[in-house]
Amino acid sequence: MTSRRLRWLLFVFLAPTVLLLGTFLYYPMVGTVIESFYKSSFINPNPTFAGFEQYRKIPGSRDFREVLVNSVAWTVGVVALQNLLGFGSALLLNAKVPGRGLMRALVMLPWVLPGVVAAILWRFMYDPQLGLINSFLIRLGVLDEGTAWLADTSTAMPAVVFAAVWKGFPFCTLIYLAALQNIDREQLEAAMLDGARAFGRLVHVVIPGLREIIAVNVVLTTILTFNYFDMVWVLTRGGPKNATHIFPTRIFELGFGQFRFGEASTYGVFSILVLALLVTLYVLLRRSRQRS
Amino acid sequence: MLAAFVLLPFFWMLSVSLKPADEPFSIPARLWPKAPTLDNFSSAFRPEFRTYFVNSLIVSSATVVISVGLGLASAYAFTRAKLALISALMGLVALAQMFPHSAIIIPIYKMMRGAGLLDTYLALIIAYVSVTLPVAIWILHGFLAKLPYSLLEAASLDNAGPFRTFWHIVVPLSRPGLLATAVYVLIVTWQEFLFALSFTSTKEMRTLPVGLNDFIGQYGIRYGELMASSILVSAPVIAAFFLLQRHFVAGLTAGAVKG
Repeated sequence: MTSRRLRWLLFVFLAPTVLLLGTFLYYPMVGTVIESFYKSSFINPNPTFAGFEQYRKIPGSRDFREVLVNSVAWTVGVVALQNLLGFGSALLLNAKVPGRGLMRALVMLPWVLPGVVAAILWRFMYDPQLGLINSFLIRLGVLDEGTAWLADTSTAMPAVVFAAVWKGFPFCTLIYLAALQNIDREQLEAAMLDGARAFGRLVHVVIPGLREIIAVNVVLTTILTFNYFDMVWVLTRGGPKNATHIFPTRIFELGFGQFRFGEASTYGVFSILVLALLVTLYVLLRRSRQRS
Repeated sequence: MLAAFVLLPFFWMLSVSLKPADEPFSIPARLWPKAPTLDNFSSAFRPEFRTYFVNSLIVSSATVVISVGLGLASAYAFTRAKLALISALMGLVALAQMFPHSAIIIPIYKMMRGAGLLDTYLALIIAYVSVTLPVAIWILHGFLAKLPYSLLEAASLDNAGPFRTFWHIVVPLSRPGLLATAVYVLIVTWQEFLFALSFTSTKEMRTLPVGLNDFIGQYGIRYGELMASSILVSAPVIAAFFLLQRHFVAGLTAGAVKG
């Protein structure tokens, strides 16, 4: 029995939110689709109607194929490693070890660090002359001289993925740690202590209890990773030779680097479709595995 | 192993920021400078840096206040209203969390340009409130759903108006949730890069992440100053996180895991 005054208050509370989200999230979503049917460039800044022209041209282009393959590799790589590492570290930090509270806080550091700072830090870590990674590998005798990890088309993507995993995995740790609180402690500790069969028990005790959370978190990290711009842009700007160009960096470059807003928007529409497809594929895969 | 993986880059950042300019980088790299100095920090704190810092501070604090305020108001409306429409609206809020910023930025940019708002704080604040609000609502909704509503009913029986009930009962009870949400919005806003890069073009209006990105070219390989600036950029959020860490973890996981 909501009173009239309460109803009025709730309306006033909700109105600004509806207005803001409508104008600055939902309208732009539609706007991007409309924009994708127009063409403009730096020389011809006035958009002209192009119909499906860009939808015909872009998917067959080499640029698009590279961006698509990179985006999928980047997303799958980062999501898989972040979740594995997040899960492992959550198990570790859930055990009763001295200094656990401090460790739990410290492990969050990379996630709290601003993305641009993390990217600059890793640019430096990978530096061929001064970087810690090359220095370490030379000392170990793995390398004779420094490698330019970010400048080589074959190593740039793994290097970018590694940096992004470092930056983002603590979020998974946080979620999995919270979820582990709901699992029976004694069962968990028995599983952890029982040497030989520890892994098997872990799989049987922990994973089933966390099935829902794992699924939700994989979807969440997929969305966040697929759309993550900062790391790739600051580390490589999509290079070398498109080797690390993903949808967000390509869209930014087309739109704000070359003022080809129409083409950028077509890429934007495709990026939404690809992301939706990735999430759907994961959900279907999970469902079919559960059934078998 | 885990500790080394997480902390070694931080240690390295600190070590390089304290390295005197005349101490050469050696191969293999030396982990700690021979004669640590704060020179890099004083040269990093130049006038442009101070401008960026003030800009970030203004944009972030305005966003935190507005986003958390509107978030609580909306979350409260979502918990109290008894309308069929409400759950559909909640769904739309949840869906909006997933919109790729790069895919919606061009229409937002054109709106801001049309309104003459490029290179203003307002453009960034509006964009940041819009993108952080869905998550803020989501966290606070998870939090409010657990409040004891008998208290509210009792208060409304006392004939306190609905707003007074909200202000004197709901707001104080939500404090831990509000703090958690504020930290979350601060972390997201303080580091936001894509909108800031696209909506500002003059040095006077750039925020810290964009300014820092510009420094890469300017400093060349003067990594000492670059690392010192990076530490200065990160310090406020890291400090806020550690101060409010407990609230943050509890609040976020209440909303995310159980919500």
